[in-house]
Formats: sequence, C-alpha cells, structure tokens
Amino acid sequence: MRIGITKFPGTNNELDVKRVLSGLGIKNELIYPDDVKKMDEMDALILAGGFSYGDYLRPGIIAAQTPVIENLHDYSNSERFVIGICNGFQMLCETSLLPGILSTNTSTKFISKWVNIKTGITSSPLLKGMENRILKIPIAHFEGRYYDKDEEITKLANKNQIAFKYCREDGEISLEENPNGSVENVAGIVNRKGNVLGMMPHPERASFQYLGSEDGKIIFENLIGELKC
Amino acid sequence: MLVVYSGKAKDVTLLEDNNVRITFRDSISAFDGVKKEELAEKGKINCKTSVILFELLNRYGFATHYLSQLNETEMICRKVEIRPVEIVCRNVTAGSFCKRYGVDKGIEFETPIIEYFLKDDVLHDPLVAKEIAIQLGWVTKEESTLMESTTRAVNQVLSEIFKRISLKLVDFKLEFGRTDDGELIIADEISADTMRLWERETGEIKDKDRYRKDLGGVIEHYEDILRRLEEIESYPEIPIKSTAEITIELKKSVLDPAGEVTLRSLQRKGYQGVEEVRLGKSAKISFSLTPSPNLQAIIKEISDSILSNPLIENYTFDFSSGE
Repeated sequence: MRIGITKFPGTNNELDVKRVLSGLGIKNELIYPDDVKKMDEMDALILAGGFSYGDYLRPGIIAAQTPVIENLHDYSNSERFVIGICNGFQMLCETSLLPGILSTNTSTKFISKWVNIKTGITSSPLLKGMENRILKIPIAHFEGRYYDKDEEITKLANKNQIAFKYCREDGEISLEENPNGSVENVAGIVNRKGNVLGMMPHPERASFQYLGSEDGKIIFENLIGELKC
Repeated sequence: MLVVYSGKAKDVTLLEDNNVRITFRDSISAFDGVKKEELAEKGKINCKTSVILFELLNRYGFATHYLSQLNETEMICRKVEIRPVEIVCRNVTAGSFCKRYGVDKGIEFETPIIEYFLKDDVLHDPLVAKEIAIQLGWVTKEESTLMESTTRAVNQVLSEIFKRISLKLVDFKLEFGRTDDGELIIADEISADTMRLWERETGEIKDKDRYRKDLGGVIEHYEDILRRLEEIESYPEIPIKSTAEITIELKKSVLDPAGEVTLRSLQRKGYQGVEEVRLGKSAKISFSLTPSPNLQAIIKEISDSILSNPLIENYTFDFSSGE
C-alpha cells in the first residue's frame, strides 16, 4: 500500500504529512505536478497544504491547472480516497471536485491558532466512528472562509456532506468560535460518495502528543484502515 | 435564385447552399447616389481587388465572409446579416472629416481614428457616437469591441501591404455582418471604392475621390492599384498583437473584507460621502493573434474557467488590437 502526497512549488506541509504516514508504517511518495503516472499507482492521495504557486490569482487555482489535479477527477471517480488539507481543500474547490470556495478571512488576517472542530454525521469512511467527536486541531490560513450559496449549503447539510464545523471546546457551534467567517462554521466537507474530503484545519499538525494534540491522527488511521480492508 | 439585396454597385443572391453570390456591377455613385454613372470594367476590377484583399485578410487570420471567386465579377461569400453601422478608420485627415471639423487635409494621426457611421442613405450616413449605437441597439458592446479591434488590425495589415506598393492608406471603411451562428465577421467589399489611397511620393489620389472630384481617369487608377496588388510576390510577416484587459470583481452578494477595511480607513481619514469600497483584480493578456470571434471566445473561456470563480466573482473584458 502506498499513499501519494502532492508537492507543488510553494507546498510546505508535505513533510509533516509524510512523517505521520511513515510513523503509522505506511509507504508514501511525493507526487509532483506532472507525476500523473505515479499518481495513478497510489492507493490514496493527500493534497498537502501550503501556498502552491504563491497563491497567485486565487489559492489553488493555478495548481488546479496542472496534470495531477486535472487527473484527480478520473482518480477520484475510481473510488480512491483523496484528502485535501488547507491549500489542498482550496484546490479541490477550484477544480470543482468539492462545491464552494475558500475566500479571504473576514478579519483580513492570516490566522494561525488552535481551534476545536466538531465532526459531522456523514457516510464517509474517512470519518467513521468520529460522529460528533470534537477535535483539537490547528488552522493556519488567510483564505479559509468557506462560502457557497445558501441553497447549496442547505443541500450539503441535507446530504450529510458537512464533515467538520468550528465549535467551542464543549462542542457548541457558535459564531464566536468561527475563526474566519465560514458560512455555518463549515471547516471541512466531503463529496457525495464520501471518498473526497477537504478541510482547512491541519490533522497532520495534531497527530503527535508532543505537538499538543493527536486528535487529527484518526483521519489518517481511518484512511489506512479503509485501504487495508 | 433570389436576389436578396441590390445595392448601388452590387447585387447579392442567395444560393441553395445558404451562401451568397455577390455580383459587382459597373456602376459607380457618390453623394448618397446623387451622382452616378456606369464605368466599363469597374465591376471586374473591384471584384478582383476585393478578392485579393479578402484572401489577404483571411491569410492573416481575420474572419471574413469571403469564400471564393466565382468568375470575373462575382464572388461567393458566407451569408451574413449586415450590421447597420459601418466602421471608418483614418490614418490621415481627408474627406468629410476635414469638412466636419474644419481641419486641413493630410494631417497624420498619431493613433488611427475609429468612427461609427449609421448606414442610412436618407439620413446621409450620419456619424454616430458609439454609446448611441450601443444604446439604440445598432451594435452590442461586445460587437463594438470586436469591430474596433478588428478594424485596427486590418489597418495595420493593409497599411503595410499598400506601403510595399508605394501607396498610402489614408482611410477605409469596413462593414461587418453576423452569420447564422452569430459570429461577427468582415463583409461587403474592400476596394478603391471603400478606401482612400494616395501615391506615397506625390500624394496623387488613386481612389474614388477621383470620381467625386471629377479628376478623371477613375478606371485607369483603379486598374493601376489592382495591377500593383497582383504583382506582390510574397506577403510579409506582420506581427498582429491583441490585448485583452479583464476586470474581475466580487459579486455584490459576497463579502469583501479587504474592501471593508479600506472603506473604514477612508472614512477615518475624513473623506466625506465614501459609501462603499470593492476591491477587484485586473489582468492584461497579450496574444500574438488576430482579433476574431474565436479569440473573443478564448478570452471568455480563460476568464470563466481560470481568472474568475463564477461562484463569487463577475468579470468584464475589453480587447484591442493593432499598432
């Protein structure tokens, strides 16, 4: 079993993801923008965060024009798992694998801090056993305000596609705990089939106790569990 | 077969394959048909001149109605619905322009001038402001952008070609038509009837002004232009550049935090009456392509799929061509 981690110019989280996967004993490979062939050999793909192509134009849009991301449509259609973290989530939205868009934080500030998110009830195997679980996990972004039209958000909620919402430590979903102005406190979503997950928080930065939390590790463990069965 | 249009110097016949046959007659007229005459060979000369110039424009990547020459006085063209305004491009002052503004003939413009005229004999083809043409529905804004940029690029090409045969392109008019598919392309004819050409060395008039001003030798000079065009052995590389300017704005319904911060700053500074600030983006893209409906479609595709995200942004674009 091998998991691919995408690396674009400006991606800077790929080694953090690598460390978590290696720690869990999983072989992994870095996938560069043109590595379509290698990408197709991977059992799952993680789009690591950072600032691909300097976040020019809009975060993720330039990466979305590369062969690897263009191939992602076929890749995910073959039922394989894709997790987009932070900039990876932005890529998934820009390439329309996930609905909506990540726009500038209401505060117009880059926000880097620990937050709590509450896991939604979805049919995604990646979130199996996590329903309503509260995770302590860091965010680090300038464009993390999830936006879509009201009716689309309603649709997402009705189809159980909302993966995570920003919340208080006790799980209460309140506006005060919304760090970036995301509609409905949305922090992450899944596609209809549940094999594509996009999230702004960084699970790879919350996968070791010495970092302050290992709440994020379960997402990687779920992924590996799915690949093994 | 049906003659769908009979003009002052040409007839247009609709063919079974939905193309048209354009027949050049020997008629010549001026001053909205007040002065008219038959000049032997004129139909033939203007047909051939048009054929050469349309083939030239097609070669340089312009979208025109011209398909092929049928015989000495007829060409086969795509059927179009002619737009009610024509575009005039001027490199040097002459003709009605001098009268209208009371200026001397022969003043060179730094940048070629584009003018819109309403095609209406009863009103004597009046000059119209572009805004009026758009608001009255004679052209759309998008059409005017394409017509102007195309005309400027045609000017670049024709000026260069005529320069090679020692002629100065003073001004010319272009007509545009819309095909059944909605493409806006160059139509009508391009000949000494539709442009002013002066001998580069002497300034001698070679075009229809000879007829308007009773200078004589109309056919001889028309023939001379044609002969020189026919003698051109190879066409030069003419680098045609088109530039698109795209402006991207956040939709009204989408929060613009950066705009809000800027607004508060302006208000804090004491600028009275500042109500709203929206910050957008703009992109300028240069193409080594001739302006055409196809290029317009490419610019739209780039704007739709990459430059803007339709969920939160709107865009407008403009493009220009020529030197």
